[in-house]
Amino acid sequence: MKILVVEDEKGLAESITDYLSREGFVCEVANTFWQADEKISLYQYDCTIVDLTLPDGNGFDIIQTLKKIASATGIIIISARNTLEDKLKGLEIGSDDYMTKPFHLSELNARVKSLIRRRNFGGNNDMIWKDIRVNLPARKVFIKDIETTLSRKEYDLLLYFLSNIDVALTKESIAEHLWGDNMDSADSLDMVYSHIKNLRRKIVEKGGKDYIQSIYGIGYKFTAP
Amino acid sequence: MKLLEKASRIYLLASLLIYLAVGIAFFWIIKFMIYDEVESRLMVEKQDFETYVRTNDTWSNNSYFVENKIEVLPVFGKYKAEVVFTDTLINNRYEESADPFRQLTFYTLIGGAPYRVAIRKSMIESYKLIEAISAAMIAFLGLLLVSTFLFHRVLSGKLWKPFYDSLARIKDFDWTKNKPLETVRSEITEFNELGDVMEKMASKMQHDYRSLREFTENASHEIQTPLALINARVEQFIQSKDLGENHTYWIEEIYHAARRMSRLNQGLLLLAKIENQQFTEQEELDLSELALNKLKDFEDILQHKEIRLDLQSSGSFRKLMSPALADILLTNLINNAIRHNYTGGELRLESGTDYVRVSNTGNPLKSDPERLFERFKKESTGAESLGLGLAIVKQICDNCELRISYQYDAPIHSIKITG
Repeated sequence: MKILVVEDEKGLAESITDYLSREGFVCEVANTFWQADEKISLYQYDCTIVDLTLPDGNGFDIIQTLKKIASATGIIIISARNTLEDKLKGLEIGSDDYMTKPFHLSELNARVKSLIRRRNFGGNNDMIWKDIRVNLPARKVFIKDIETTLSRKEYDLLLYFLSNIDVALTKESIAEHLWGDNMDSADSLDMVYSHIKNLRRKIVEKGGKDYIQSIYGIGYKFTAP
Repeated sequence: MKLLEKASRIYLLASLLIYLAVGIAFFWIIKFMIYDEVESRLMVEKQDFETYVRTNDTWSNNSYFVENKIEVLPVFGKYKAEVVFTDTLINNRYEESADPFRQLTFYTLIGGAPYRVAIRKSMIESYKLIEAISAAMIAFLGLLLVSTFLFHRVLSGKLWKPFYDSLARIKDFDWTKNKPLETVRSEITEFNELGDVMEKMASKMQHDYRSLREFTENASHEIQTPLALINARVEQFIQSKDLGENHTYWIEEIYHAARRMSRLNQGLLLLAKIENQQFTEQEELDLSELALNKLKDFEDILQHKEIRLDLQSSGSFRKLMSPALADILLTNLINNAIRHNYTGGELRLESGTDYVRVSNTGNPLKSDPERLFERFKKESTGAESLGLGLAIVKQICDNCELRISYQYDAPIHSIKITG
């Protein structure tokens, strides 16, 4: 899986590529509009992450070119602009997702994976890890082939974990993933805690191992014990 | 009062006073001249009389005619030899009326004895003359007044037309749009100068508005990008296996501070954008329905805090406003009602045709309710609250011509938005 990261802030581009490389993606970086323009005309990417504000051009133009020459590529916009107009315009010209800076790398990772899954399999596949199997179209979860009923948020939480195996996730990023960023009260962290507790219980009940590992002060990690 | 009306009134009042003064002065001048004429004729007659008396040394009151009536009366005792003009009324011989006369009284010696002589002249003709002249004067002055008044009105209306046209365009001018202001050109230099100045100001306003808007957007970008970098670096850092408890504490603090700063930045930028009226798109929205839908986003937390929902609707509150602002308004109101609620409390959403009210149970306010909607007014010192939520709500209400009021009826706090 090849991913192109178009971002003028070098540090941020580096963080994104480091993070996604750990997940097994092959990443390339373009720091300027012209680099990006050159790369998309030379190579094929499965996914492109585009910053809208570039020193020598506009990210929207890159997306339009991409749509013309390689329509199969998934496009995720990352931008500091959080106006509704920008978001609508981004989706209108053919991007698949819009993330507002600052975002969580784990969230970006989850979205890249979900985008690639949708592009490649039309979402029609199972997500399997150890003894957990998730049937995506039916939103069903099987632990050791026994179906387990999860609430909507528990399901979302499990998918988020499965997209970020072996990664330390902050409580805040989980809360934001589940409820968006307008739920910023301390209560949402309590809710994360209770959802984690329930999910953990449901997996263990069906004979699975306790994959959710707490990291003191930070959050949780989904990993094989 | 309109300029034209004001000018007309002043003009009317001033010309009325001036014409009145002119009329009165004219009347007195004519009167003075007629008296002068009559008196000089009386003086001539007095000379004639004295010459007659001197040559004949006698006088007989035989003159029959009213005009030049001369009355000679003997005087007994002392008298003051003086010459006096007086106005007097004398009965008409034929009509039952008194006619005005001017009378010259003097003393003279006839045949060695003193006599008081009164020579009179009728003023009837003169008075008629004065009346006729006055009437003509009043008629002419009145006509002049009315005609100049009308002329003045029509002329001012014509002269000021470009001004009023330009005024209408200035009123319609919207600095958030790109269309420049164009005032009406006319022959009048002052209006053209005013137009030039207004156009210059308008284009400066548009320019400032644009640069401010660009600045807010750029500032947002410039600040959010390094914050995104901090966030990303922290996320990478926590992936390392050998973090001590101290390290995680520090990282947690850095992470928190960065997130807080980012939210603060976004909140302040939002306030600036609302203040600058950057949300120009308008739609007719049903705020009651939007609020109900918004509550669904908060289902989880309501359940978590065991907050009972109480929905009361007696009509839908329709309002023409920006959908983005309406969303922010309701999100912030509900968020506020949940944050300051306690576990097992209640959240009430009421709506009518012209209001939406969000009420919640909660502890009494520690600070002044008047300052509830100010920026950075926080009830709790918890780091999670930014103190911008209600300030944003207030700002949106101010911009969308909605009224907002707070009420506390223990233990229910309610915030009401009225259209």
